[in-house]
Amino acid sequence: MTKPAARRSLFEPPDIGQMATATKIVLYTVLLAWSAFVLFPIYWLIITSFKTIAAVNQGPYFLPWIDFEPSLHAWKELFVNDYRDTFRAYFNSIVISLSATALAILVGSMAAYALSRVKFAPNLITILYFVGLLALTGVAVGIYDVDWRVAAATAIALFFFLARAIGRLYQLRLQNGDILFWIISQRILAPIVVVVPIYMMFQSVRLLDTHLAIILTYTVINLPVVVWLMYDFFNSIPRDLEESAQLDGATMIGIFREIILPLSRAGLAATTLLVVILCWNEYLLALFLSTNKAQTMPILVAAMNAGERGILWWTMSAVIMIMIIPVVIMAILLQKYIAKGILVGAVKG
Amino acid sequence: MKNKDKGTAKSISIRSMNKFFQAVHVLKDLSLEVQAGEFLVLLGPSGCGKSTALRLIAGLESISSGELFIGETNVTNVLPKYRDIAMVFQSYALYPHKTVAENIGFPLKMAKTPKADIDTAVLAAAQQVELGDYLERFPGQLSGGQRQRVALARAIIRRPSVFLMDEPLSNLDAKLRGNMRAELKYMQSKLGVTMIYVTHDQIEAMTLAHRVAVLKDGTLQQLGTPKEVYSNPANLFVAGFMGSPPMNFISGAIDNESFTTKGVKLPLPGAPKSNQVTLGFRPEDCRIVKAGSGAMDAEVYTAELTGDQVLVTLQLHGSQIVSRMPKEFEIGDTQIAGIEVDARHLYLFDSESGLRITADSTR
Ligand SMILES: Nc1ncnc2c1ncn2[C@@H]1O[C@H](COP(=O)(O)OP(=O)(O)OP(=O)(O)O)[C@@H](O)[C@H]1O
Ligand SMILES: [Mg+2]
Repeated sequence: MTKPAARRSLFEPPDIGQMATATKIVLYTVLLAWSAFVLFPIYWLIITSFKTIAAVNQGPYFLPWIDFEPSLHAWKELFVNDYRDTFRAYFNSIVISLSATALAILVGSMAAYALSRVKFAPNLITILYFVGLLALTGVAVGIYDVDWRVAAATAIALFFFLARAIGRLYQLRLQNGDILFWIISQRILAPIVVVVPIYMMFQSVRLLDTHLAIILTYTVINLPVVVWLMYDFFNSIPRDLEESAQLDGATMIGIFREIILPLSRAGLAATTLLVVILCWNEYLLALFLSTNKAQTMPILVAAMNAGERGILWWTMSAVIMIMIIPVVIMAILLQKYIAKGILVGAVKG
Repeated sequence: MKNKDKGTAKSISIRSMNKFFQAVHVLKDLSLEVQAGEFLVLLGPSGCGKSTALRLIAGLESISSGELFIGETNVTNVLPKYRDIAMVFQSYALYPHKTVAENIGFPLKMAKTPKADIDTAVLAAAQQVELGDYLERFPGQLSGGQRQRVALARAIIRRPSVFLMDEPLSNLDAKLRGNMRAELKYMQSKLGVTMIYVTHDQIEAMTLAHRVAVLKDGTLQQLGTPKEVYSNPANLFVAGFMGSPPMNFISGAIDNESFTTKGVKLPLPGAPKSNQVTLGFRPEDCRIVKAGSGAMDAEVYTAELTGDQVLVTLQLHGSQIVSRMPKEFEIGDTQIAGIEVDARHLYLFDSESGLRITADSTR
């Protein structure tokens, strides 16, 4: 927050305000040109959503009222004729993205905080028993039709027996780094690999085409992202601060509310935004898990491309337009925290 | 400071405290009695377990074995926040997202003190450390010394019965360190609070402490007033650690009530016979004289003028001996010089155990 009097390093540019006029002009020209380049596709979306079918087919027109006459037909189709589908998908997308993000952030940041503050040393062999017994229980219930209560009870009993009898013979222990890598490895795995098992799982519990199924799946696939990012943020908060707060009489909740939360707000904002966008855009899993009731926006967009009438550029543009809006609003709202957090971070130490 | 603020100080009693980090034995059977209102300095080289001892007292780390009493209460298993302790960390641990005022008022806020009372207390504490004009700043906008004062104000605002400080001055430059040292000492006596202060700087220890506890490898070496520890060290380690430049050591043997080594024979009436001893004397207790006329002769190595004195370094059998001479002293181009030692200030140690050997002539 302190303003340096002189330039701090060779590669650090001075403030724009301090530049010479010529430099300023060049700088703004370059920035404007780049913005135009980046924003052009969005401009294209806007005008295409107001074009008639004929205007789209006749060639590249870019200037409304000059090149072509704007029309509301695509918007009418979305909001008057097919308004049920549109609103349902919109509503689904919002509910699913926000719920999944909230869950992933809640669970993931708690896990990340624990990983950054507590030293875990789980016994590798015990974990292998656990996974092995879980698999065996699944096989017993699924294939041999054993009653699930009997199978679970047997597995739990066996687990404790094995852990106590043999587990202590092996001292091979995992550390926090191993756990962290295991978590991130879940994200390295391509979702396409597990999409069929996930589909069958939800089919067997009769949750296909429900919000719950998609929310749970999105939560799980985004947990690694949250844990990985938040772990770094929590790790950058010095432990001294928490210990000092402890001596100052703060409770666990007090420490969390007064120290951890404000200092990791930037990280939380950035992570939230990222996860919301990941959920908002997710297509593959939504395609498998929803058929009708739980359809999300990406599915709706894809549908514009699959009809017998060819690609419906005009309605697709309109749908994408309304899809972009909430993300832009969120980015604007959260940006304040992200920028502030970066400043607070600079003050540390 | 009103008088009713005094008298809250409590004694601390550490009874055979041990600390293990996994297999590493960091603190070994530490026992210490700190009186109420005392300024105790824990002194020792880096890695000897000073911070660990402090963190055990604060409750930030669990005690492996032993007991800890604050006042009459056994706090061995008591959570930090119930120990009524304030601690100043080496890093100051200021909350970067809170202003100076919020930082100082934080302990009161956590104690659910009414807002108005917090404000008056913050103002009083800030004025006490001369930070009144900086209340709205963030820690990042303060200098090292100012941050240190914020940490101090945050510690005193609660009127705790015990103060712990972990090298609070080590981040400051030499001049500011001198000022803050004096301020700390004044503040401690004014508040009449019990203080345990950790440092590896023996000058800090000498100037601040009522009593100094010297630690090495997690073991208490000696406990005493700065004067006692300086002029009556219990062993080789303490003798070598206290004082700058440190004490001179020569190894040799005691034969016939005199210290002997190659080319040196120094009568020490009453010294018991021994094959392996170390003789120690401080730089201020020896003088450079003409070769042949002192207790021993040595090769001149360097002479450094430090301002108010000249430090002459000589070499004797591969070990260095420093003599502190008045600033008028000129060594010239003398190659070999004699060293005259003050027979009243000689120290004798057993080379193997490092323990002090007392003879009539070496108290
Ligand atoms: N959490 C820990 N786990 C394992 N070993 C530790 C831990 N904390 C400290 N130690 C070890 O304990 C010993 C004493 O550490 P401590 O921090 O108390 O030293 P110190 O006297 O404060 O040193 P310094 O003057 O450098 O601060 C060191 O050898 C250190 O490596
Ligand atoms: Mg330390």
